[in-house]
Amino acid sequence: MELSDANLQTLTEYLKKTLDPDPAIRRPAEKFLESVEGSQNYPLLLLTLLEKSQENVIKVCASVTFKNYIKRNWRIVEDEPNKICESDRIAIKANIVPLMLSSPEQIQKQLSDAISIIGREDFPQKWPDLLTEMVNRFQSGDFHVINGVLRTAHSLFKRYRHEFKSNELWTEIKLVLDAFALPLTNLFKATIELCSTHANDASALKVLFSSLILIAKLFYSLNFQDLPEFFEDNMETWMTNFHSLLTLDNKLLQTDDEEEAGLLELLKSQICDNAALYAQKYDEEFQPYLPRFVTAIWNLLVTTGQEVKYDLLVSNAIQFLASVCERPHYKHLFEDQNILTSICEKVIVPNMEFRAADEEAFEDNSEEYIRRDLEGSDIDTRRRAACDLVRGLCKFFEGPVTGIFSGYVNSMLQEYAKNPSVNWKHKDAAIYLVTSLASKAQTQKHGITQANELVNLTEFFVNHIQPDLKSASVNEFPVLKADGIKYIMIFRNQVPKEQLLVSIPLLINHLQAESIVVHTYAAHALERLFTMRGTNNTTLITAAEMAPFVEVLLTNLFKALTLPGSSENEYIMKAIMRSFSLLQESIIPYIPSVITQLTQKLLAVSKNPSKPHFNHYMFESICLSIRITCKANPDAVGSFEEALFMVFTEILQNDVQEFIPYVFQVMSLLLEMHKNEIPSSYMALFPHLLQPVLWERTGNIPPLVRLLQAYLERGANTIASAAADKIPGLLGVFQKLIASKANDHQGFYLLNSIIEHMPPASVDQYRKQIFILLFQRLQNSKTTKFIKSFLVFINLYCIKYGALALQEIFDSIQPKMFGMVLEKIIIPEIQKVSGQVEKKICAVGITKILTECPPMMDTEYTKLWTPLLQALIGLFELPEDDTIPDEEHFIDIEDTPGYQTAFSQLAFAGKKEHDPVGQMVNNPRIHLAQSLHKLSTACPGRVPSMLNTSLNAEALQYLQGYLQAASVTLL
Amino acid sequence: NKSDERMKKFKNKGKDAAALRRRRVEVNVELRKAKKDEQILKRRSISFRLLDENLNEEREKRNEIIQLSLEEIVEAVNGNNAELQLQATQATRRMLSRQKDPLINEIIELGIIPRLVEFLIHADNPPLQFEAAWALTNIASGTSDQTRAVVEGNAIPAFISLLSSPHMHISEQSVWALGNIAGDGPLYRDALIKCNVIPPLLALVSPATPVNNLPSLVFQVGFLRNITWTLSNLCRNKNPYPPLDAVKKMLPVLIRLIKHEDKDIISDSCWAVSYLTDGSNDRIQIVVDTGILPRLVELMASPELLVMTPALRAIGNVVTGTDEQTQAAIDAGVLAVLPSLLRHGKPTIEKEAAWALSNIAAGPSQQIQQLIMCGLLPPLVELLDKGDFKAQKEAVWAVANFTMGGTVEQVVELVRSGVLKPLLNLLLAKDSKTILVILDTISNLFRAAEKLGETERLCLLVEELDGLEKIEALQTHDNNMVYKAALNIIEKYFSGE
Repeated sequence: MELSDANLQTLTEYLKKTLDPDPAIRRPAEKFLESVEGSQNYPLLLLTLLEKSQENVIKVCASVTFKNYIKRNWRIVEDEPNKICESDRIAIKANIVPLMLSSPEQIQKQLSDAISIIGREDFPQKWPDLLTEMVNRFQSGDFHVINGVLRTAHSLFKRYRHEFKSNELWTEIKLVLDAFALPLTNLFKATIELCSTHANDASALKVLFSSLILIAKLFYSLNFQDLPEFFEDNMETWMTNFHSLLTLDNKLLQTDDEEEAGLLELLKSQICDNAALYAQKYDEEFQPYLPRFVTAIWNLLVTTGQEVKYDLLVSNAIQFLASVCERPHYKHLFEDQNILTSICEKVIVPNMEFRAADEEAFEDNSEEYIRRDLEGSDIDTRRRAACDLVRGLCKFFEGPVTGIFSGYVNSMLQEYAKNPSVNWKHKDAAIYLVTSLASKAQTQKHGITQANELVNLTEFFVNHIQPDLKSASVNEFPVLKADGIKYIMIFRNQVPKEQLLVSIPLLINHLQAESIVVHTYAAHALERLFTMRGTNNTTLITAAEMAPFVEVLLTNLFKALTLPGSSENEYIMKAIMRSFSLLQESIIPYIPSVITQLTQKLLAVSKNPSKPHFNHYMFESICLSIRITCKANPDAVGSFEEALFMVFTEILQNDVQEFIPYVFQVMSLLLEMHKNEIPSSYMALFPHLLQPVLWERTGNIPPLVRLLQAYLERGANTIASAAADKIPGLLGVFQKLIASKANDHQGFYLLNSIIEHMPPASVDQYRKQIFILLFQRLQNSKTTKFIKSFLVFINLYCIKYGALALQEIFDSIQPKMFGMVLEKIIIPEIQKVSGQVEKKICAVGITKILTECPPMMDTEYTKLWTPLLQALIGLFELPEDDTIPDEEHFIDIEDTPGYQTAFSQLAFAGKKEHDPVGQMVNNPRIHLAQSLHKLSTACPGRVPSMLNTSLNAEALQYLQGYLQAASVTLL
Repeated sequence: NKSDERMKKFKNKGKDAAALRRRRVEVNVELRKAKKDEQILKRRSISFRLLDENLNEEREKRNEIIQLSLEEIVEAVNGNNAELQLQATQATRRMLSRQKDPLINEIIELGIIPRLVEFLIHADNPPLQFEAAWALTNIASGTSDQTRAVVEGNAIPAFISLLSSPHMHISEQSVWALGNIAGDGPLYRDALIKCNVIPPLLALVSPATPVNNLPSLVFQVGFLRNITWTLSNLCRNKNPYPPLDAVKKMLPVLIRLIKHEDKDIISDSCWAVSYLTDGSNDRIQIVVDTGILPRLVELMASPELLVMTPALRAIGNVVTGTDEQTQAAIDAGVLAVLPSLLRHGKPTIEKEAAWALSNIAAGPSQQIQQLIMCGLLPPLVELLDKGDFKAQKEAVWAVANFTMGGTVEQVVELVRSGVLKPLLNLLLAKDSKTILVILDTISNLFRAAEKLGETERLCLLVEELDGLEKIEALQTHDNNMVYKAALNIIEKYFSGE
């Protein structure tokens, strides 16, 4: 492409079209631009346009297009063609910096990004003059230009904050320091001077403070990897100025906005980060400055207001103090009782207060409020920072801090008592303070696990928490109710059980509260209490203790789901699930109503599933209803099918992808409940389950395999007699699964069920083909997982069809194949098999090969007899071999089982582990001894001689142990 | 047997012990100021002759010393008048040895270096030889360019032959000058070695000057200090290392010097040994074979920072070597000394001690067992908790290596000693590598817990200690490997109910 006016014109037109809302115009234009971007001069045309176009929108569009072009093409990928010709590269690098600096801000940003993308590849080697070019602009005195340079430098250098130390990186940093550190320092000093000369000029100050923020950020990046010599030598300059900036205030820089942080806040916040960086990493060198910063930051905290815009600054500042006060050699800075008191009074307490913004969130954005308050996504909040400071101070000063706060708590409670409706926030702060003071360690599962012994939690609970929850109105002071419920929840392991039992009806009552936070917390608290463990690993709270409350609990839980804002409340649904699981058969009387409500809910949410956790617990609850009911009354399964199948059909027909795996799991559970022949309703569905489209989705595979296994278990005969034409389809599924490294184990599950349950005659004609398929996969891509499954399969086959049949089928594929399988796969790999049942299957199978397979005794296979026996003894006695060959370390996560995020397994639809050799063999070691004995009576003398010639001594000793235990001897 | 073999294969999962051990320098580029506790590379001769200097100043004040301009110096030095030559050389030396602003570059620019080198061989005029040697010593004490000016003036052979001067102070001044030249870097160090500097240098120490029978004259101890320092510079620097045969010649003398009583001599000879051990395993072996390790370990416990620092370095280097070399250091008693060094109070010492410990922890489980038996875990945990960041970083490596090579029982012991809390706290460190190493360590701990069926307990412990939320937060870390490692732990151990 020539750099011609005509081309500029064409480009302008196409750029304009890419902004068109109509895809029919936009898409072709985008396609066109993509098709020409490989041509020489294309980027230069864009640069010309963004500089000279008459229309501003074209300028901006050209700059964005240019940036994206650079992003896609600049990097030279090995073995791929260079997508930008060298002369264009040189021209871009020569022009982009001045162009960026002379452009208006909107375009400057795009070009600055482009520079950093180019810089990432070319800087410093292939762009040696970039730094000097940038540094020279510091002299310009034009802060629009200077800020452009600083912004670009920031985007170039910020990666120093997260990359690993390396020669290459440090060489670059050294180069940058040599060229940049001194000019940056001078600029810093000059800018600060200008700030005082322009102290009354608001617009100048804004520009200057933007520079200072960028300079402070650059300081952070350049000092991140290690303390550079230059900055150590100039620490005085930097730290003195940082310190004075921290204490600076200027009315002109204060903003009216309550939410958005202003320049002053951003700068101070960054300075806190810088000080924290030095305190953490360069303590030795920074020590002389640290006390000054502690004082400045503390003063800053005392004088900073409650507005949201200060939140980041305040939490950064508090975190700084928290990290310093934990260090033994700074202990003295905090030791004085007066200092401690004023930190508690002026820094901690004010930042624990319930603010207007919290109140708003509590009412209008309860989901966010709950997430922050319950799930600990509060890392950057003031309250959280204040809590961390409390815990930091408690490391050395637990006694004094507890003492100071106890006084506070009491006075706040008194304030509350005087006039609750006005002063309820005081009580909130008191509860929060007690909580943060008392908690030393906490987990989601157990709440607080270690508490401050100086705080009497039970007393506080009885005197100050219970009264609130006992009050007649569940809707009064909702924040305090939520606080109280949360208190029970997190201190559940500290408060004695009788108090918990007293609380249960109170919690059930609060399920009716209008406030979303309150009834959610009530549900969550109940759910947590129900999971607590007592002695003997049973639940702490028993079904008997809950007996008086069953009806009201279930009623209130389901009613809570009808409260505004909670129709898909996952906490409530989880509490329902947990209640079922705890109450067991006492819910049976309520099942008809429960299952109706659950199916209605299911029907409703299946229109647009949006809350995955809610849905998951709903299906779990359905499974529990089925299990609990059918355990007492197996015939009830029919009524569940009646209630559920209609909804299920609708889900399957509408292809509600999120729910289908759940439906298959519930169906498996239902099918497994049947004791007799498989019902015809299931058989009607069978052909549909084999449709390839269902198997395309990875999330469907595990539950579908499970369901097909249930079909085979319950209806193998029916399939063989009434649906024999579907057997090839079934094997087709197997074939598809076995071909995938990710799903091959699922294929084996299916195959094993076929072998175990189908009448042999019905699969006779396919058997050889199955083995051939397995061999093909073995040859093409052998993985440890495949081999493990393969070993289990062939041993199961051996158990089911006999060792001779196994040997014959291998040797029918290729002569001597059986020997190869023994030698190359079974003997060397058997140690890798994992799982109790799997090991047992292999043990019994190998025993059969050893003792019931004549060719093992009288052909060339005989030489493998002892090694096979030794491998079997190894399987019994040696630790499992969990090594993975090196090349398999690189199999993608997606390829290994257990990582299938699309599939959510239902705990309460769980399948009992199935042991196909269960009844046949109890103790596989004894079974081996007995089988060997039988073999030796058939051919006396042979077995002992084989053992004595080549079995190793250790194995022989083990074997003798088995023989003794079985009370047999070998003849 | 076979199962042992397999265990071995499993334990290191592709990394062998050598990769776990970390050599002293991972990066050759330094951003920091040169370490204050490093040995001095070059020295100017000022304070050493304080008396003389004071005397001169006195005399100068009284105008007893003739003041010469630079022009006059050039003229006199290039002239033939021996008296004036001496005066001028002395004036030059004085300019070069005053405390403030020695005029090194100005003197170099006079172009008189070749003449000064010539004066070195005026055996008939010892005062002139001495003044010239002193002046050149101080020029060589400057920057690399300044040292080069001396070398290019062909001073090396002249100084080497002066080593055997009958006048002790001239011989000593030459030792000093050669030390400065050797300290410039591997190039001049090897040039000196090629010119055969070692035999006459060693001859000054032995056998004519038996180390422990020296007359008690102060300047003679000073002389021996100078020799030791110059020897240490001949052992110093890498890329390349000093030639092996030179090392083998110097080593026996260094081993004798290390047994001296003077702490400066001990210090410099320890520095020399620390340079010799800062290399590949065969270099370490040469030092181990001398049997000096017990002495070095003894010196590690010295209250003198001057002595303890290089001794610790040397031992630290030895334990970067093979399992056998590390065992030799253990047998010499290093594990008994390390606890107090880990609690030394000076961050660089604690860091160095933790580094040594991390390399011992990279060894086989028997060595890890010895480490436990010698009570190293409590100070390690303390350091992890309260140490300076530099030392914490090394302590993290020590824990990481421990969990990589330790048996399940040993890992349990480690967790029992309270390592988890400070380790998890360091997930807030502002250093990606440290974070990644900690995450790997956590994975190792979980692997051990899985073997014991204690996964759930470890999960709870990690959560209680606020580790879980820190790991969760790392899922948004900008470093890809950190983010992946964090994600992996969360998915594997903390997802689901």
